Amino acid sequence: MIRQYKDILHSAAILGIFGILGATLVSLTWTATAERIALNQQQAFLRNVYKLIKHDEIDNELLQDVITIRSPALSKNEVQVYRARRQGEPVAVVFSPVQSPGYAAPIRLMVAVRADGSLAGVRVLSHLETPGLGDKIDESRSDWILGFEGKSLENPPIAKWKVKKDGGVFDQFTGATITPRNIVATVKKTLEYFEKEKERLFKQPAESPDEPPFH
Amino acid sequence: MEFPVHTSPYGQLPNNVTRLMAQVLLALVPGIIALVYYFGWGVLINIGIAVATALAAEAGVLHLRKRPIAPALMDLSAVVTAVLLAIALPPLLPWWMTVLGVLFAIVMVKHLYGGLGYNPFNPAMAAYVLLLVSFPLSMTRWLPPEMLNQNPLDFLQSLVVIFGGQLPDNLTWDAITSATPLDEMRTQLEMHKTISELSQNPIWGDFGARGWEWIGNWFLIGGLFLLWRKVISWHIPVSMIAGLLISAGIFWAIDPESMPSPAFHLFSGGLILGAFFIATDPVTASTTPRGRIIYGFLIGVIIYIIRTWGGYPDAVAFAVLLMNMAAPTIDYYTRPRVFGARDDGHD
Amino acid sequence: MSMSYREIIRNGLWGNNQALVALLGLCPLLAVSNTLINGLGLGLATMLVLVLSNGTISFIRHWVRQEVRLPIFVLVIASFVTAVELAMNAWFHDLHKILGIFIPLIVTNCTIVGRAEAFASRNPVPQSMVDGLSMGAGFTLVLMTLGGLREFIGQGTILSGIHLMFGEASKVMTFSFGDDFHGLILAILPPGAFFGLGLLIALKQVIDKRSARRAIVSKTDATTTTAAAER
Repeated sequence: MIRQYKDILHSAAILGIFGILGATLVSLTWTATAERIALNQQQAFLRNVYKLIKHDEIDNELLQDVITIRSPALSKNEVQVYRARRQGEPVAVVFSPVQSPGYAAPIRLMVAVRADGSLAGVRVLSHLETPGLGDKIDESRSDWILGFEGKSLENPPIAKWKVKKDGGVFDQFTGATITPRNIVATVKKTLEYFEKEKERLFKQPAESPDEPPFH
Repeated sequence: MEFPVHTSPYGQLPNNVTRLMAQVLLALVPGIIALVYYFGWGVLINIGIAVATALAAEAGVLHLRKRPIAPALMDLSAVVTAVLLAIALPPLLPWWMTVLGVLFAIVMVKHLYGGLGYNPFNPAMAAYVLLLVSFPLSMTRWLPPEMLNQNPLDFLQSLVVIFGGQLPDNLTWDAITSATPLDEMRTQLEMHKTISELSQNPIWGDFGARGWEWIGNWFLIGGLFLLWRKVISWHIPVSMIAGLLISAGIFWAIDPESMPSPAFHLFSGGLILGAFFIATDPVTASTTPRGRIIYGFLIGVIIYIIRTWGGYPDAVAFAVLLMNMAAPTIDYYTRPRVFGARDDGHD
Repeated sequence: MSMSYREIIRNGLWGNNQALVALLGLCPLLAVSNTLINGLGLGLATMLVLVLSNGTISFIRHWVRQEVRLPIFVLVIASFVTAVELAMNAWFHDLHKILGIFIPLIVTNCTIVGRAEAFASRNPVPQSMVDGLSMGAGFTLVLMTLGGLREFIGQGTILSGIHLMFGEASKVMTFSFGDDFHGLILAILPPGAFFGLGLLIALKQVIDKRSARRAIVSKTDATTTTAAAER
């Protein structure tokens, strides 16, 4: 009897010791890497932004100057709006992530709009489009997404914010019209939202999110 | 000591296989003529390429496997696979894609699994899926049917396009190709158009798309011939069509403006061809009568699901492959009870 | 019963290759082998965990009671995997983003607990670590071969994404057919992984059979000639 208890205690003790050792190892590694990982995530996000808006156009802390909006036109979920400024003057805003309906699942976009209402650019953050057809929206697959740069609600005129097949100016891909059509529509909606809410977007005081969401 | 293992159907002699396959080929003729009439010479060229490749591949693999070549070539099964694949392909597909598909069907799907009678998956459909997934652009480039085609290509021009990739001087791909009706329907519905709105377009006929809606009927003639000759049984075609019609009917009744009608589904894509010629493949389908009904019905339901909510516009190939996978299980649970066996499973 | 190092290495790389013979760790193997660099990244992470866990488990093998050995193995492995994951996230952030969920999933790679149970818990530390190294290397090589093949056939490149591991300068080593090559997309999709692995296993069987036949032929050659002479 006693011997059995001893065995159980012995096993439990060993398990406990290894639990503690394992937890120690993990927490040590975490302390050593946490800062670097957070920095990595910020940089990965900023690298994406700086592809659209040049780094030297901005002098504020983009990641601190952020508000959260909710608009069914842009996304079912919350959208973060990062405000880029130079000497306090508005330069651009970055909407992320904006959701566009896709062929299979929603496409998540980053849309950067300059203060004058023109597009600094659009990037696809994630998508599940058909390989070989709809996935040409991805920057690594084709240049299509770069075509938004410089466009605004006047250029082309609002009636032409469609893919060519529907009488607009934007290219579609052969065999996949739905994906580009939806993205064009979503980007247009984002521009319209910006036009309507411009004032508020830049004036509303920045939030201090506990943990900035990166994508 | 090795015992020969046979899968069902039992009692088939090689010359029976030949007779069976010859009848299948004969039954395909009306449908093929209709395809050529509506979509031009490309269909015939594809069939030619596919059959030649299939025979060469079959001979090559049999040689590697040190099996007798002549009888296997004579049984025409490779030819049937090739023809079924070829008529599912767009008429102007580049020749090497057809070749690649047929090689895949014969070498990987048929012979790597043991050859005729042992392959768990329908070779023609597996090859179709390979091509569709790998070359989605070329595989969705169909031609408009004859009455809508502004720029029909003659035989020589079709040859040049297929083998050289060269379009006649004044034409572009966008000018001569068009989406399939299923594709078009899906695209229009995604734009939130209602069915009554989009049926104004001249491409739509009485119940499907013009031209396309008639092809099914021609394949149906062949299918009925196979039924009459007892090459296939009624279970799979009937239950497969029922599965699709019932699913489509339910959703159509709920929302006729955004769900295409059962008739549209019946006469679009490869449904009739699939129901009579592809799903009935004796090697890969379920073999018990009750099993066949379940097998066919579920194919119909899956086709509807994929056509409506899936990532690709037509789904006969995907549905057939999925149910190929389920066929052994279905057979296991639907085996007719042996006479004298007890209910509790002990005998 | 301890094996020679030579034998251990041979086993890991070929004879008992975890991917081609034991068919373990298929989930990450098939999911991550879409490019050579992804394969290399996951392979190295797996190898590192294998060496560390094999070493540790061998070191403690006399103190751990039979009844609780498996929970302890899992604890050890999970701790190492988490540590490796954090380290990768810190130093190879972009690669970590691509490999994503498959790094924490190394915990569930049966190779690792398999080697702990089958080898490390019965052999001295140095042998166990070499076993971890060679098993890991064998796994990595298969991952890289499969990744390289799928990448080449599927998108017409080799070593794409190399900068994720070796910095921007190494980008010149990426080979590409150019943008006009669309590739057999199926190869980079999941079915391509199954076909690829199947073909690699078949290839290994062919090589093994050939070398076995050659060994027999050279042995029997002498006997058959004498038999023929007698007749």
